[in-house]
Amino acid sequence: MPANVIMPALELAQETGKLLRWIKAPGDMVRKGEPIAEIETDKVTVELEAPASGILQDVTAQEGDVVPVGHTIAIIADSASPTLSPQGGRSGTLAPQGSGAVPTLSPQGSGAVPTLSPQGRGQGEGPTSDRIKASPLARKVAEAHNVDLAHVRTASGKIEKADVLAYVESRRTVATAGNGGPGTIVAASPKARRFAAERGIDLRALKGSGPEGAVLAMDVPAAAEPTGTGPLTSAPLTSALLTLPSPQRGEGVAAGEGGGIPRRGVEDAASQEKVGTVWRVMAERMAASWTSAPHFFLVREVAVARLGAWLDKARAQTGVRITYTDLLIKLVAAAIVQHPRVAVSWRDGVIERHPDVNVGLAVALEDGLVVPVIHRADTLGLKEIAARREDLVARAQAGKLRPADIQGGVFTISNLGMYGVDAFSAIVNPPQAAILAVGRITDRVIPVDGKPAVQPTMVLTLSCDHRALDGARGARFLGALADLIEEPLTLLV
Amino acid sequence: MSERELTYGEAVKEAIAEEMRRDPRVFLIGEDVAEAGHPFKTLVGLVQEFGTDRVIDTPISEPGYAGIGVGAAMTGMRPVVDVMFGDFITLTMDQMVNQAAKAHYMSGGKIKVPIVFRTTLGATRRSAAQHSQSLHAWVSHVPGLKVALPSGPYEAKGLMKTAIRDDSPVVIFEDKMMYRVKGPVPEGDYTIPFGVAEVKRAGRDVTIVATSSMVPVSLGAAKLLEDVGISAEVIDPRTTWPLDKQALIDSARKTSRALVVDEGYERYGVTAEIASVIGEGAFYYLDAPVKRMGAMDVPVPFSPVLEDLTVPSEQTVFEAARALCRR
Repeated sequence: MPANVIMPALELAQETGKLLRWIKAPGDMVRKGEPIAEIETDKVTVELEAPASGILQDVTAQEGDVVPVGHTIAIIADSASPTLSPQGGRSGTLAPQGSGAVPTLSPQGSGAVPTLSPQGRGQGEGPTSDRIKASPLARKVAEAHNVDLAHVRTASGKIEKADVLAYVESRRTVATAGNGGPGTIVAASPKARRFAAERGIDLRALKGSGPEGAVLAMDVPAAAEPTGTGPLTSAPLTSALLTLPSPQRGEGVAAGEGGGIPRRGVEDAASQEKVGTVWRVMAERMAASWTSAPHFFLVREVAVARLGAWLDKARAQTGVRITYTDLLIKLVAAAIVQHPRVAVSWRDGVIERHPDVNVGLAVALEDGLVVPVIHRADTLGLKEIAARREDLVARAQAGKLRPADIQGGVFTISNLGMYGVDAFSAIVNPPQAAILAVGRITDRVIPVDGKPAVQPTMVLTLSCDHRALDGARGARFLGALADLIEEPLTLLV
Repeated sequence: MSERELTYGEAVKEAIAEEMRRDPRVFLIGEDVAEAGHPFKTLVGLVQEFGTDRVIDTPISEPGYAGIGVGAAMTGMRPVVDVMFGDFITLTMDQMVNQAAKAHYMSGGKIKVPIVFRTTLGATRRSAAQHSQSLHAWVSHVPGLKVALPSGPYEAKGLMKTAIRDDSPVVIFEDKMMYRVKGPVPEGDYTIPFGVAEVKRAGRDVTIVATSSMVPVSLGAAKLLEDVGISAEVIDPRTTWPLDKQALIDSARKTSRALVVDEGYERYGVTAEIASVIGEGAFYYLDAPVKRMGAMDVPVPFSPVLEDLTVPSEQTVFEAARALCRR
C-alpha cells in the first residue's frame, strides 16, 4: 500500500508550504522517519519525514513550488506492491454494492473480512494491540498506515499483512464512496477536528482510537492534556469562522481562519510569495490581533542601576555573556509566577489559564518577526536562559527553528532598546493576552530624595488584551516586575 | 429549610389545594376527581374542602369536559382539567391543539386560555398498551402550548403552581409510577419557573439529559458510572417547552458527550429534539455522536417481562453512557 506524502500544516495560519528542496530523489528507498524534503512552513523551515518506508515516487511538487497544506506532494510505494496513484481507480471496483448499506469489502483471497467495528455495548474494553494476534509484518504495516489493529477483524482471528492492507483500502473506499470526491475523508469527531484545526495538525497524521478508527479529541496531541497546556501558537477558531464562507485572502481575518484544512484558490500565491511566509504570517496575525483584541497600554519607567550591578555580578560568576534580555526573561518569569493571571487567553468567551511559564522573545529577522519560546523559564537559571536564548536566536536567524521552538508561549517580550528606542507600544501576540515592550536603558533625570538625579532607567510598556485582562491586573503584574527590576536581589532571597 | 417530606401525589394535591385557596377562579374537572379522589388517589379530600362546584366529576367524555375547560378559561376561569391517563389526550387533541393553543394568537391577544391539562406518563405499571404511553412529545410539538414534566415531589408542587398561574395553556405530565415516591417539599408557597433546566448532579465526562421518570433512573446510572470512574452530569430540562436550550448546550460543551433519556417513544421524540438542539449548539465541542434513549418503538406490551424491556433502566443508561465514554 502506498502512503501519501502531504504538505504538512504546522501553524494555524498556514495555508501553503513551500517545498525548498528534495533530500531524496524519486526512486530512492526511504525509511519511515527519515528526512525526505525540506519545507518552508510559516515561520520555520522543517525537514519533512517519510510517513512510511518504501520507494519515493510520483513526486508532484518541484523545488520552489508553493503547495496548499494537506495536498499530496509525493507517494511512498511499498516496494512489494504496484504503484497506485492517490486518486487511483481501484476504489471504483470496491464501491459498496447497493445503496445505504454499510460498505464492506469482498475478501481478496486472504480469507479476511474487514468489517466496521461495531460500536456500543460490550465494546467498552476492546482488546489492546498487545493482546491481538498479528504477524510482526502486519504490525509494521499497521503502524505505517496508522491502523489500530483492534479494528481489523479476520475470520481466523490472526491478522496478516494482507488483512491490514485490505482494511486500509476499505477505509479509503468508505471515505471515497461517502464523499463522492477524490480525497480521503478522515473519520473524526467534531471536537477533534476543531482541536486539530486550532493546532494546525493534519488529521490524517493521527491514529484514531474511536469507532472505525475515528480520531477523537484525546488523539490530537496536546488536546488530551488538561485545558490550558496546549500550544499557544494557534488562535481560537470561532464557530462564525467555520460557518462563514472563506473570505478573500489577505483580508486580515482572524488568525483562526484556514487552519489545517486544505485550502483551494492559491492562484495568487505567486504575489504572496514575494513577501515571504514569515512576513505574511506576521501581517495576518498582527492584523487579527489589532482588529479583534481591544488593546490597552500601561507604561512604567523603572530604575535599572541595581539591575546593571546584578548583570555584572552574574557575568563574573558564570563566565557567560548574560544580557539584559536574559535578566528580563528571568524577572518576567518570576513576575508571572507571582501573577499567573496574565498568562491567559481569551477563547470563545472564556479565559483560559496557562500554567507553564513559557516566555516568548520577539526576534527580528530580515524578512519578518518570529517569537521563539523559552519554556518553563521560571525553572531555569540565568546561565540556562542565556544558553537557550543564544541558541534560539541563532537558529531563528538561520531559519532553522523547529515547530517546538515557537509553540507554547504564554507571554512575549519585545526589546527594541538596542535600536535606541525609548519606549514603544507592542501589539499583543495572539492568543496570548499580554506583551512587554522594552525600551533602551539610558541616563535620565529622575527625582531622588526630592532632588533631580541622573540615573539609568528603562521604560516598560505592557500591552494587554482587554478581553482577558483589566487595568488593575495588568498594573499589578507590571508593578511586581518593576519591583523585581529595581530590587532584583529579592528574587534570590 | 423544612425537611418535611411528601409523596409526589401529595405534592400535586397540595399545589392544587393551595392555588384553589389563593384564587377562587381555579377549579378542577375530570373523571373520578371528586368522590373517588382520583384512581391514583392523588386528589383525596379536595371535594370535601372545596365542594362539588369546584371539584367536578364528569362522565367518561374527555372531548366534552376538555372543551368545557377551554371555554371556562376563555371566559375568565383558571381550570385544571384532569386527563386520567396520558394516552387519553388523543381524545382532547382538538380542544388542546386547535382551540386552547390558538385562541390567544387568533384573537390578536384579546383572549387568554389559562388552562392546565393535568395528565400522566410512564410505563411498567402493567396497564397495557392503551394506558402506558408517554405522549408528551405530541403536545411539545405544538406552538401555543407549554409542557411541564415534574421529575420528583418538589418539582410536582412547584411546576403545578407555575402552570396554574400561567396565562397560557399548560399540559403537565405526571409520572404515574412516582406517585408514592417521597421527597422534601417545602411547606407554603413556591414556584418553579418554566424554561429553566436544573443540573441534578454535576459531572465532567458525560451529560445525561433526563426528563420526568428518567431523572431518578439517570441519577442511579450516574452512581454506577461513578464506580467505574466516569463523572456524569445529569440535567433535567423540567419543561420541554419552553426549553432551556442554553443550559443543555453548555453542559454538553463542557463534557463533550451527551446522552438524552426520555420515556416517550424514541423515534421522532423528545430525545430527537433535544439531541438536535445539542448537536447544533455544541457541535464543535462534541467528541461523540449525541446518543438517544427512549421507549422502544413498540406498543407497550402487557407482559411484565417484556414491558420492563421497553423503557430505559439504570443499567441500560449506565451501559450507554459508558460506551459513549469508550470505557
